Amino acid sequence: MNEVAHLHEDVGEILLTEEEIAAKVRELGARISADYAGRRVTLVSVLKGSLPFMADLMRAIDIPVRIDLMEVSSYGGSATESSGLVRILKDLSASIADEDVLIVEDIIDTGLTLNYLIRYLRGKAPASLRICTLLDKPARRLVEIPVDYTGFTIPDQFVVGYGLDYGELYRNLRYVGVLKPEVYSEVRAEVDGV
Amino acid sequence: MSEPASVPSTPFAHASEAEMSRILDFYAVRWEYEPDTFPILWNLDGDVVESFSPDFYLPDLDLYLEMTTLRQRLVRKKNRKLRRLRELYPDLNVKLFYARDFRALMLKYGKLALFDGLSGSSGQVASPYGVPELANETPGIELPAVIDPPALPAPRRRRRAAAPDPATKGPAILS
Repeated sequence: MNEVAHLHEDVGEILLTEEEIAAKVRELGARISADYAGRRVTLVSVLKGSLPFMADLMRAIDIPVRIDLMEVSSYGGSATESSGLVRILKDLSASIADEDVLIVEDIIDTGLTLNYLIRYLRGKAPASLRICTLLDKPARRLVEIPVDYTGFTIPDQFVVGYGLDYGELYRNLRYVGVLKPEVYSEVRAEVDGV
Repeated sequence: MSEPASVPSTPFAHASEAEMSRILDFYAVRWEYEPDTFPILWNLDGDVVESFSPDFYLPDLDLYLEMTTLRQRLVRKKNRKLRRLRELYPDLNVKLFYARDFRALMLKYGKLALFDGLSGSSGQVASPYGVPELANETPGIELPAVIDPPALPAPRRRRRAAAPDPATKGPAILS
């Protein structure tokens, strides 16, 4: 059995098909193009999960766009020691001062990362700062953040595919699917040495 | 951005709360641990007989966060208290963080193996106040009748940088 087939088997349900995602990206691109008509927008993608969405969205926008990439460290602390503070692993490559900036996210759940990123980017004095996310999982929200462009509001399930990962895998799936619970239970058992 | 709160100096009642404080620190979200106590039930004499002390207050977000990784029976009780809190203090922004929410958070951060150790009774640590959380769960003890309070008092600020002297502390506060 090849590796990709193995990845598909770990998905219990396809939440969004490739076609549904493509149609939504086109719709978002058209809205963004209309809203920013006559201006130039800088798309800031947050690595790694938003990479496929960014690649598709920028091609669905028909006004001048600049793109930039950022990567922010994720929490991974243990029960006994602090993980320190969130860090910018990859910063912007160009100034966004006086630019219209659109943050491109794959998914918003707690809003903690995005909340940090917004505060950070506001400090760079953009002309405007808006948010576009493919997926919104409001059930998990801790920090309420107004989202300007939302692709899909999804239920409270652990999803992978189209950039979203579990353990760095499944990002290359062309759809968004719900990971079978036994997949992460198996991983946990391995971690626990069961 | 502000300095994060110091985790080791805060006497958390549950290991999941300590983990949440580390997550908030990581993302530079300021928090206070159980700073406020809200009366939610009075007896016929007007004395407060039940209060609610949300676990965290996030001042930058004006949000109270209550975590519960306890048994379903206690979750029901907490839901009831939360409903009462929202009735009495409709302007409060309170979010209840259930065990499933905490589990999802641990899964998101690749720390699912920690979940079992941090949830439920195994995650309990000794209360610094000697207040038994289950005191009002004892069978046979009935709560006094609910009456509408004549006027809602301001929440009592309860800074917990230092544990109060058990000999001088007030009535048990259930949370």
